[in-house]
Amino acid sequence: MSDILIVLFKIMGTLSWFLTLTLYLTWLERKESAVMQDRVGANRANILGLRIIGLFQPFADAIKMIFKEDFTPRFSKKFLHMMAPFVSFFFVAVTITAVPFGDYVKIAGKTVKLQILDFNVGLLFILAMLSLGIYGVILSGWGSRSRFSLIGGMRGAAQIISYEVALGLSLIGLIMVYPTLKLSSMVHFQGEMILGFIPQWGVFLQPLGFIIFFFAALAETKRVPFDLPEGESEIIGFFAEYSGLKWGLFMMTDFMEIIIISTLITTLFFGGWQVPWLAADGFHFPWGGEWLLPHWIVVLFQVGAFNIKVFFFCWLQVLIRWTYPRYRYDQLMDLGWKLLVPLSLINIVGTGIVMSL
Amino acid sequence: MIRVLGNFIEIIRGSVITARHFIVNMWFHIVNLLGIKTQRKGAVTIQYPEEKKELAYRHRSLHRLVKRENGKPRCVACMLCATVCPSDCIYVEAAEDPDPEIQKYPSQFIIDLSRCCFCGFCVEACPEDAIRMDTSLIEVAGDNRDALVYDKDNLLR
Amino acid sequence: MSKEKTKMIHIQIDGKSLEVREGTSVLEAALQAGIEIPHLCYHPAFPSEGSCRMCLVEIEGRPDLELACSFPVKDGMKVSTQSEEVTKARKNMLEFLLAEHPLDCPICDKAGECKLQDYYEQYGFFESRFEEKKEKKEKKVEIGKTLLLDQERCILCTRCIRFLKEITGTRELGLFNRGVHTGVNIYEGNPVENNYSGNLVDICPVGAITDKDFRFQTRNWFLGSGPSICPLCGRGCNIDIEYHPGFPHFPVPKRVYRIGPRENHRVNGYWICDYGRYHYSYIDEDRQEQIVDNKKEKLDSWERVLDFLKERIKKLYYMNKTSRIAVLTSSWLSNEELFLIRKIFQEDLNVEKIFLTDPLPGEEDNLLLTPERSPNSKGASQMGLNFKELDLNKLAERTEVLLMFGSHITEHFATAQTQEAIGGIETKVLLNPHISDLNSLMDVVLPTCVIAEKEGTLTNVKGLVQPFSPVFEAKGHCRPEWEVLVNLAKKLALNFRYYSPFTSVKPIFKKMQKEIGFFGTKK
Repeated sequence: MSDILIVLFKIMGTLSWFLTLTLYLTWLERKESAVMQDRVGANRANILGLRIIGLFQPFADAIKMIFKEDFTPRFSKKFLHMMAPFVSFFFVAVTITAVPFGDYVKIAGKTVKLQILDFNVGLLFILAMLSLGIYGVILSGWGSRSRFSLIGGMRGAAQIISYEVALGLSLIGLIMVYPTLKLSSMVHFQGEMILGFIPQWGVFLQPLGFIIFFFAALAETKRVPFDLPEGESEIIGFFAEYSGLKWGLFMMTDFMEIIIISTLITTLFFGGWQVPWLAADGFHFPWGGEWLLPHWIVVLFQVGAFNIKVFFFCWLQVLIRWTYPRYRYDQLMDLGWKLLVPLSLINIVGTGIVMSL
Repeated sequence: MIRVLGNFIEIIRGSVITARHFIVNMWFHIVNLLGIKTQRKGAVTIQYPEEKKELAYRHRSLHRLVKRENGKPRCVACMLCATVCPSDCIYVEAAEDPDPEIQKYPSQFIIDLSRCCFCGFCVEACPEDAIRMDTSLIEVAGDNRDALVYDKDNLLR
Repeated sequence: MSKEKTKMIHIQIDGKSLEVREGTSVLEAALQAGIEIPHLCYHPAFPSEGSCRMCLVEIEGRPDLELACSFPVKDGMKVSTQSEEVTKARKNMLEFLLAEHPLDCPICDKAGECKLQDYYEQYGFFESRFEEKKEKKEKKVEIGKTLLLDQERCILCTRCIRFLKEITGTRELGLFNRGVHTGVNIYEGNPVENNYSGNLVDICPVGAITDKDFRFQTRNWFLGSGPSICPLCGRGCNIDIEYHPGFPHFPVPKRVYRIGPRENHRVNGYWICDYGRYHYSYIDEDRQEQIVDNKKEKLDSWERVLDFLKERIKKLYYMNKTSRIAVLTSSWLSNEELFLIRKIFQEDLNVEKIFLTDPLPGEEDNLLLTPERSPNSKGASQMGLNFKELDLNKLAERTEVLLMFGSHITEHFATAQTQEAIGGIETKVLLNPHISDLNSLMDVVLPTCVIAEKEGTLTNVKGLVQPFSPVFEAKGHCRPEWEVLVNLAKKLALNFRYYSPFTSVKPIFKKMQKEIGFFGTKK
């Protein structure tokens, strides 16, 4: 009984973290782009005159989207049109189950893992779910029965499938190094040291793999500079026929994907919840110092480290989105198939050679 | 390969530029938020309704009809403004003034500000210096089109 | 005119060789050749005065500059209108004229068509050197029932004085005082009250004499102008109708703002009478713009009205009872329309009861105005229509369909009398451009066009057939009568081959020329 409660609690906690972060990622996007461009950004939304640098903006957005007309085109396939945003949303939302937020926490004698479900094949699960998200794109394009939407959806499908290859291949090297697909084990593995003082993070073991993964993952999120499926300003994408909350779900999906990609990068390449030299009982510095800490402080350090890393990558992705212009479609395909895939193959071979030495 | 590498370096440089902007601006924002006055601000924008920019000397704002000493409009309804107006937004109707030295005055003078493009031609065309655009009123807005049709009473100031 | 006897001589103006009649002035010769010489006081209708001195030209062999308006041409004369000396002289003359001329252009109704303004822009463009105060004179003298005189603006060209001397012979205006105080004025207690006073406004080269009727109404550059014929009397004076095409975003109260004469030496010369000039309100006021349907038979379009008429007339036609149709025509209709009435009703339908209702004759004067107050009385009389004497009882007797063109019957009979007489008629249709008292008596009132809105020809009292074309488009449901008649004929299926080419006025006129001798011989 208490196990079920714990799982429910974990689900609740994780989801609320996830969704809140999604909500404020919209705020972050606005503010960060503004600061980058010497502006102030959205700061008008207020409650009783209280503005707090525009923190209420997401609520204003949400209220606006709720009250907007939920328009379904007369010619659309109603059921598919309605399903598409939920499909998109669902497959992104479930990926968070496999992400480890921390090591474990001891409450009332019980050891609770800070992860909803510790799969044996956690990495594959996440990749699979991310790939299934393509159905949302295709369905929205198809269900709208608008040429623009359909072509946008097709562009999106082609792009995501192409980059899926590079994404998967870039992780092969990592899987060769970490002898597991279980995400918690991977994070544990990254707690060790190279040469006694460099943390054994994926980014140090697989620098090329990281770069390829990062690029491919950016393409997966369908954001600038890879926003061809959407192309809101001119080429018109798959959710052209959506409005109101359904459109909002698509946007949320986008932001959730950013977070998922950030958590994945953190978990796979940047040691997850690992803090350098922090063990279960406290810090053990390579130069011989020790700083022992109580268990809950260590947990806080771990969860905090995870969050900071995730935030950083969210920030980085927003920075990239507001820095680069969009790729042309052929350039996009060139980058995927002619650069990232061969590079990831080289990476696999190189990793194999190094490992067999 | 070299080209790709060159692209890659440019990509990195690009994000370094934007990141630098972000960090520098963020620094000033935080410093200002803490109450320390700096020469530079975090943003170059002006927070409009609260902060207002000073209008330039030659700025063309809402029109006004200039009065004579006795309060009558200086306008003699020659309709040159209506003639020159590129958006056809001025309508003047002339009437007989009892004073034989004035003779003609506008019984109606209407500017449809919803059509006006604020080019200032009417000011240039006026032979009597009777219409000017120096009121510094730039917040001309209305709930409906009729509210933007200004007649003589609105314009005489 | 002794055309054959005048000798043709050769002169040169600005190097251009011209052949002109002996006795013409240099200015006339230049104007005939299209060479512009500025002039203010010269008017082709009067002998030249030479008071403005704007037309100075250089003539080879003459020590000084000469006045082109009064210098007769001589064989082999070489005239220069553009030489340095001439331009300088013009500029100086303009400076003299403008020295005492007030800067009234913004409030002057002449501005925009003022010759002084034009010449300043063409030949002047000097900085004013006149530092003294300008002479104060009367700004607003009422010299006639429609005329205002501004003595300050006057440049003393005396065109007005000469007009009143030469054309009307009434001599109401004269020059008073001397030197800088010289001014045109009326003799005390004798305002300009002849029927041609409006022409003074046209001939005044500046804004000294202005029209009360047009005063401050609009600016003349907003007005468009179209040639037409004055329909107010039988003379058929050629006029220009000056109308406001309207502002894009603001409504204008009326279309026609003033009427001006159009030069035609066969009819009216340079002039029109005040009656024709100031009674233009018939074009815009009290106009019938919509179809009036007092029978409530949903006759809201011309198509339905014509169907309705067709049914009524057809019925009588098949029963061979077309004698029960009565048609009231009017000489406000054009020749073509009267011809169509003759063709359809008199010849095709054998209608006997065709009447002519003309406006009552008015006063005539010795110059242009004729007693007939309709434009086509001559045409109506020559059309070959067998008019019955206008008698209400005869008109109403056993009549079932009444077609009335125009409402001039109200001038002959009181409305109540008319109502009593025609009340029993089953179908009463009025085609009228204006709203009249008859509207309530009729079953259907159809809006038609005035002369200014349609095409056609008119025959004036002297038998001159003059064409006119629309100046502006008709408003609302208004249609020209000829179009209505042609459509009715087509509906009635009377000789389709005959009526089908009548898509415009031209073919009707050609047919008329062929069939009616009066129009065949002249044009």
